[in-house]
Amino acid sequence: MRYLFALLLLLVPILGVWTFVEADRWQLWFPENVSSFGGEIDGLFNLIMYMVAFTFIVTEVALAWFVFKYSANRPGKGVFTHGSHKLEMIWTAIPAVALLFIAFSQMETWAKVKFESNFPKTGEYTKEKPIAELWASQFDWRVRYPGDDGVIGTVDDLERSYEFVVPVDTDVVFHLRSRDVIHSFFVPEFRLKQDALPGHTIPVWFRAEKEGIYDLVCAELCGWGHYKMSGRMTVVSKEEFAKRMAEIKAEWYSNGKEQG
Amino acid sequence: MSLRLSLVATTGLALWVGACQLDKDQKPARPVVHYSLSAATTALGDDGEPVIPSSAQAGIEGSLEMLFGTPQDPQFQLLPEWKDDGFDPNWPQYAKGDSGSGEVDPAELLEDNKLYWRRQLAAIDAGLWDRVFVQDFTPDLRADWNDLCANTPVEARNDEFKKAARELFEGYYPKLSASAELYRQHCLHCHGPEGGGDGPTAPFLNPRPRDYRHGTFKFTAVGKSVPRREDLYRILDEGVTGTSMPSFRRFSRAQLEGLVDYVRLLSMRGMVERSLVATYKEEETLTSGDTLDAYAEVWEKWQKADSKVLTYNGEVPAPTAETIAKGRELFMDAKRGNCYSCHGPEGRGDGASAFALDPETGEVKPTYKDDWGNEILPRNLRLGIFRGGRRPIDIYRRIKYGIAGGPMPEAAASLSNDDIWHLVHYVGSLSERPQHAKAADHGDAHAPEKH
Repeated sequence: MRYLFALLLLLVPILGVWTFVEADRWQLWFPENVSSFGGEIDGLFNLIMYMVAFTFIVTEVALAWFVFKYSANRPGKGVFTHGSHKLEMIWTAIPAVALLFIAFSQMETWAKVKFESNFPKTGEYTKEKPIAELWASQFDWRVRYPGDDGVIGTVDDLERSYEFVVPVDTDVVFHLRSRDVIHSFFVPEFRLKQDALPGHTIPVWFRAEKEGIYDLVCAELCGWGHYKMSGRMTVVSKEEFAKRMAEIKAEWYSNGKEQG
Repeated sequence: MSLRLSLVATTGLALWVGACQLDKDQKPARPVVHYSLSAATTALGDDGEPVIPSSAQAGIEGSLEMLFGTPQDPQFQLLPEWKDDGFDPNWPQYAKGDSGSGEVDPAELLEDNKLYWRRQLAAIDAGLWDRVFVQDFTPDLRADWNDLCANTPVEARNDEFKKAARELFEGYYPKLSASAELYRQHCLHCHGPEGGGDGPTAPFLNPRPRDYRHGTFKFTAVGKSVPRREDLYRILDEGVTGTSMPSFRRFSRAQLEGLVDYVRLLSMRGMVERSLVATYKEEETLTSGDTLDAYAEVWEKWQKADSKVLTYNGEVPAPTAETIAKGRELFMDAKRGNCYSCHGPEGRGDGASAFALDPETGEVKPTYKDDWGNEILPRNLRLGIFRGGRRPIDIYRRIKYGIAGGPMPEAAASLSNDDIWHLVHYVGSLSERPQHAKAADHGDAHAPEKH
């Protein structure tokens, strides 16, 4: 009987690890990373996952071993023990050190992605001169590109719903805003998530390194239609981007003959 | 004790499983659902009796079902004269010519569907058959997919099968019944089963969802008539900013065109219903001739709208400080623009004539109601939210042709096109942020925005 229970318990770490190993093959793992800082974030995720996995395996094997060794029908008599002060100190200190290690190891990446002082300063788009404003509202996304004057908030701004077109291999800064409640900008492929708060203008930056169409979703429950709130992040080459902007502008100044 | 317990438990479990199997076998067929009549049709008179007797109501309901089918099987009845022309509205029709969205290019449809089905196509290419999810999609595609799969076991699925599977997804086109299914999933909860704007989530919304049954849609390019296909398509594609109507561009072009078809069906059904009710109230009887006449008349309106579009023949002028100043003058001119009387001298939607004092309660209330009976306020032009679109041509159309279903009038004849463009630019400039405003000094136009 004790063999059976020990084996059953041993199955937990074995099957647990197996699902993680197989996940990638069944496309149950992360979507492909396409942003410049996504690799670091995946690295941090993996670091924490390996730490957790190590702890998980050690504790599960120990559990199975104890069930086997100290089963009720083992020969001999049990011994009363009050516990071990030294052991408790060790198992408090190790997680504390591990937590500190995690906290320090993520600082650089966090600062790189989120600190405004680390935003791109030299490229075409900066915090002061963003590529666009992205407005979240119940329940869609609207992008507001500057018009010919290059400034957002004037009469010649261009506006499109749903689709946010950005150039590839470029540091892109945009302003995230909300019209009504808290929303959250999330593009899984960019490993980028940022809440949009009503009344705030939040600068966000990323650098997409692969052309493609990625899902833009709202990651903060924003009302009954939250599930409907989807958008599209379209990353195109720089030439294609100029073409798309010209198209948006032509549609904006259409006299109604070509497009509805 | 424990033996008895386990016996009872086992017997119970066996009975439960058996009952489930039984239940599965005897599942009744999907019940037939009918469209309901509108509240206006079934309304009671002062004497507590229905204004239209229930026998006549049943007649109207039957006629409508004959013309438009049921929610599960919606279809337009064919008029005799269409047969000669080969016109069948049950298949998607597109406006011909260069106005509006034009004919759909098959290649474009293919690209669209590729985009929409991209996860499915990736799973097909990778041979991950259990990750091709079709249960969320329309019954037609589901049925075709099941047929395809039934003939080929998983082991025998080679490249040829992959190609057939791809073609199925790429070449798929929604029928009216499929579009009705999509409507039920994504539109019905606000717009209601008959398009009456009375779905279960409608009471939470301000403004209320559109009631299609009047055939009145506000944001069109045809003035105050029924809309074109392209007008409805644009609303689905762009959404209506400032309301709860989101953009549905995540659906493919083909699916959106299908939804337009279904919205047209619901809208026409509502119009025919209203027309029949009016005829009955006048003549106290209805004949099958009345029904067909009403149907043909409604169809004529929609077909006319499709060939009509109000455009501006010329290039859209760019805004300048000068045109904005001219627009301001017209905005405040009581004889010409007279915009301030409703929209207020600062464009805040607080003009004097939009509100009235209730002499009994002493409350200030909106003067106007829209065609659906909701109180309506003039747009606050300083927010930069324009439901029909913020493009110059959108605002031009709103000013020149008015807004159907509401108090926004057509522009006075004394306003020339140039005058209207001045107004468009002035209205657009009202929502400029103060630090960037064109009319003001340009000195700090490029200064960073304060957060």
